[in-house]
Amino acid sequence: MRKSLTVAVAGFGLTLAACGGTTPTAAPSPGTPITIGVSVSLTGDFSGDGKALEQGYDLWAQDVNAKGGLLNHKVTMKYVDDASSTQQVVTNYTNLITSDKVDLVFGPFSSLLTIPASTVVDRYGYAFPEPAGGGPSVFNRGLKSIFFVQPAAVEDNLVSYTKWLLSLPAGQRPATAAYATQDDPFTQPQIDKAKSLLEAGGITTAYYKVYPAETHDFTALAQQVVNSKADAVILGTQLPDALAFPQAFAQQHYNPKTIIETTGPDQGASFSGPLGANTEGIMVPAGWTPSATAYGNDKFVNEFIAKYGGAAADISADAAEAYSVGQVVDQASAKANSIDNGKLITQLHTGSYNTIQGPMSFDPTGKPLGGVGVYIEQWQGGQAIFVYPASVAVKPPEYPKNNWQ
Amino acid sequence: MRLVGSLTALKAAGLVLAFAVALALPAFAPDPATTNIAVFTMMYVGLATAWNIMGGYTGYISLGHAGFFGFGSYALGLLLARFAIAGGYSAFLFVPVAGLLTAVLAAGIGWFALRTRAATFVIVTIAFMFMLQLLAENLVGITGGGGGLSFPVPPWHGGDFNIPYYYAMLALATLGLGISWRIRFSKFGLGLLAIRDDEDKALAVGVPTGAFKLTAFIVSATLVGMIGAVYGYYVTYIYPQFVVDPLIGISMVLMVFLGGLGTLGGPILGAVILEPAQLWLAYHFGASRLYLVLYASVFLLVILLLPRGIIPSVGELITKWRAGVGGSKGTGDPLPKAVSP
Amino acid sequence: MTRILEAAVLGILTGGVYALMASGLTLIFGVMRIINVGHGALVILGAYLSFAVWHNFGLDPFLTLVITMPVMFGLGVVLQTVFIRPLKTDREALSVLVTYALALGIEGLLGYFFTSNYVRLRTWYDTASFPVGSFYITYVYIFGFLLCLAILGGLFWMLYRTTFGGAIRATMLNRTAAQLIGVDVDRVSAIAFGIGMATAAAGGVVFGMTNAFNPGSHYDLISRLLTIIVLGGLGSLRGAVIAALVMLVTEDVTSAVTSPVWASFAFFVVLVLVLLVRPQGLYGVRVRDRL
Repeated sequence: MRKSLTVAVAGFGLTLAACGGTTPTAAPSPGTPITIGVSVSLTGDFSGDGKALEQGYDLWAQDVNAKGGLLNHKVTMKYVDDASSTQQVVTNYTNLITSDKVDLVFGPFSSLLTIPASTVVDRYGYAFPEPAGGGPSVFNRGLKSIFFVQPAAVEDNLVSYTKWLLSLPAGQRPATAAYATQDDPFTQPQIDKAKSLLEAGGITTAYYKVYPAETHDFTALAQQVVNSKADAVILGTQLPDALAFPQAFAQQHYNPKTIIETTGPDQGASFSGPLGANTEGIMVPAGWTPSATAYGNDKFVNEFIAKYGGAAADISADAAEAYSVGQVVDQASAKANSIDNGKLITQLHTGSYNTIQGPMSFDPTGKPLGGVGVYIEQWQGGQAIFVYPASVAVKPPEYPKNNWQ
Repeated sequence: MRLVGSLTALKAAGLVLAFAVALALPAFAPDPATTNIAVFTMMYVGLATAWNIMGGYTGYISLGHAGFFGFGSYALGLLLARFAIAGGYSAFLFVPVAGLLTAVLAAGIGWFALRTRAATFVIVTIAFMFMLQLLAENLVGITGGGGGLSFPVPPWHGGDFNIPYYYAMLALATLGLGISWRIRFSKFGLGLLAIRDDEDKALAVGVPTGAFKLTAFIVSATLVGMIGAVYGYYVTYIYPQFVVDPLIGISMVLMVFLGGLGTLGGPILGAVILEPAQLWLAYHFGASRLYLVLYASVFLLVILLLPRGIIPSVGELITKWRAGVGGSKGTGDPLPKAVSP
Repeated sequence: MTRILEAAVLGILTGGVYALMASGLTLIFGVMRIINVGHGALVILGAYLSFAVWHNFGLDPFLTLVITMPVMFGLGVVLQTVFIRPLKTDREALSVLVTYALALGIEGLLGYFFTSNYVRLRTWYDTASFPVGSFYITYVYIFGFLLCLAILGGLFWMLYRTTFGGAIRATMLNRTAAQLIGVDVDRVSAIAFGIGMATAAAGGVVFGMTNAFNPGSHYDLISRLLTIIVLGGLGSLRGAVIAALVMLVTEDVTSAVTSPVWASFAFFVVLVLVLLVRPQGLYGVRVRDRL
């Protein structure tokens, strides 16, 4: 028994000694190729989004290399799978930075994984531009190196929608609203803010429920929303529930005048595939749409289709968000004339950056400033298009929405 | 006689050396990537050893220990928040408190779960684990629900950050091992092994099976809870589904089986082999999505080829070899199965 | 009141699906005394197989069963022979690990071939429903429920009316004694596992038609299935069916009456309460040191 112990512990020591190493050093010399490390969820709960992120990052790397690289450094992306797990994402960024010694890092998917990763990345002085971690708890930990690359802080996502609803003439405006949201740091803040704004505007709350993110059977919840007979349905969802609710509503022949979901309808084919024609009328706050042409978006869409196939409507917003991260870093490095992490961090806190999601800038905690470009996208006739505000709308909003089959 | 004496001395010396290596590890491998793996590996050494106290000695397989892991995590997080402890060394002082709270929980769950046996017990532990996860998610006012719970972040420097956590895990693993050792060679331990072999007979000869089982369960759960607490502190932010995680629960079981159920060194060996392998595989092959298949294959191979675990199987091989070579000397230890290390 | 009725009806309909899935699981336990924690993954595998057939050949999902059930049956026999039969010592515990490894392997392969996007088995009559009072019952649920009844009926018929069924029941009662009277327990075990997998395939189809799923969906499933078979009594088919109905109705009614949030919790609370009074479950048999 003692022998077994000895063997075990000695083996442990030797194994680790074999992989011991030294600590990393300074910025790369001009012209040398660089590696950017990212932890993506390729297995586990967030794997659908992880794949879209990977596609976006890859496309960006391809484009930036075509024009000579990031400040003349050719870029290679290095992806590691975090299996949608905290333990792995922490290990991944530790390894990427200290063992693989990548030059830069980009963020993973979801606030859930971004938060633990951010403390690791910050510890080593790396900049952490990330596409998908925007819940309030991301920004209140006193870190200076994190940058959420989306046009608005998460809780403001539904503000445009509330503005639109309240702008409707009194006769048409919905009288009641039902709210259901996951207790996810991304979805719940949006719903709560929208609820307070709409209540202040005179729309009665017929139903409000916060459900655990791990719920897998939404039938009962959907039934309760149906029972509320609300005119407006506002849902804080991720993709699975975004699919389940409309399905259940259609089965119960329930057609609210308007319905909006926080994510899901912006995931292209992952959303329209399972729902078919019943995507009709569903809205989603979007910082990005395939049909916008500003800031190189049309080029992005064409290249995406050329590289990955499919149609413009199939492109997931996650891919666009990832691409934007690359764009921001590209412009920041040009402005700072350096890819040193410290300098990038300082640079990113000032100025404005143009991405396919629109222009953006960051406050001292890394939150995006402005809320300038959160639009409303709606599915009409199998296509997701901008409908509000009028300046970007392709068509006016379909209200009340057409009935589902 | 003399041979045995010097063999024991050798074993003891080897043990001291091994511990010294573990203690000095950060000195000769201070690289954060390595110490990170070391933290998680040592964590599993502790978890496997703790689980073995229940599963290995009594034969009651608990697949719900992840519930205690998560509970310990949340306990520490909430304590630190309640008493406004800043990040730093003082936070570690609250780990035993988290352990105590876990012990209370384990007493309650154990009293109930131990009324069942064998397969039912296994499933009941799973049920309790999911109940704990649901509570963590639904009691949003206390735990933060799906939004997660934040831990204070210590101000330690980049490269050295992992080291205090490594020592904390090492301390807990050593504590677990020490307790496991003491139990193993006590009347209490004999009673547990008797329960494993045939509970009704043990009861018939006067072993207080109920009290013994519950004690083992509580001890096992408390250690797991404390380790969970340090884990939460290390990753600085926890969510219900990631700390009350069935994968953690089943990993610790697998490690014990791999190394040798009921042995002292088995859990350690299992953890030392599996955890770095898992982290490494995920890191290098996760991107190709076949990492799960590889992991599962390794898993299956081991179970099918070495069903009793590495240490007992190796032990048997050595005994056979000795019996073959030693012949009439008979230096092997033909102990009955029930008490084999 | 109508809400409770609605919920109860929904509970019965979805309970049928879970009953089907759980029946395979409890059968496997009864015959081989192993806890197949990979059963959830097998259901998902069945769902994906049907998805592949449906997607590539346009067959109605229910019809795909004609292909998937035999395939899964054969696969089950193979899996049992290769991975389960060799386990001689520490059967129950090791089987948990082996079946878990199988589940992981299946999850990995499915992720590789189908990616992790959520999919659903869709039909043209997906949202068709008929009104009952103030709410609508979806046809898909009805068809699924009927399918479950049919298969469960077939299972019971086989168990209680055929010689082979007798052999299975003998093995479940006492493996050694069954061997003594000439039952080939290894063959019975393999076939029982195959049957378990075939029922998982059927359960998978109905599950896949009513839920969006991806390779990672098996975790949620297995925890509920395990709870159901314990409640029903390990190894009891009748128990599994009744437990599934009880559980799902309780869950849905709780959800309607209090809150959907605590519905899953109610699931486990029912288990705890029943076990307090009857540790062997509703129809379980209390044998010395074996439950």
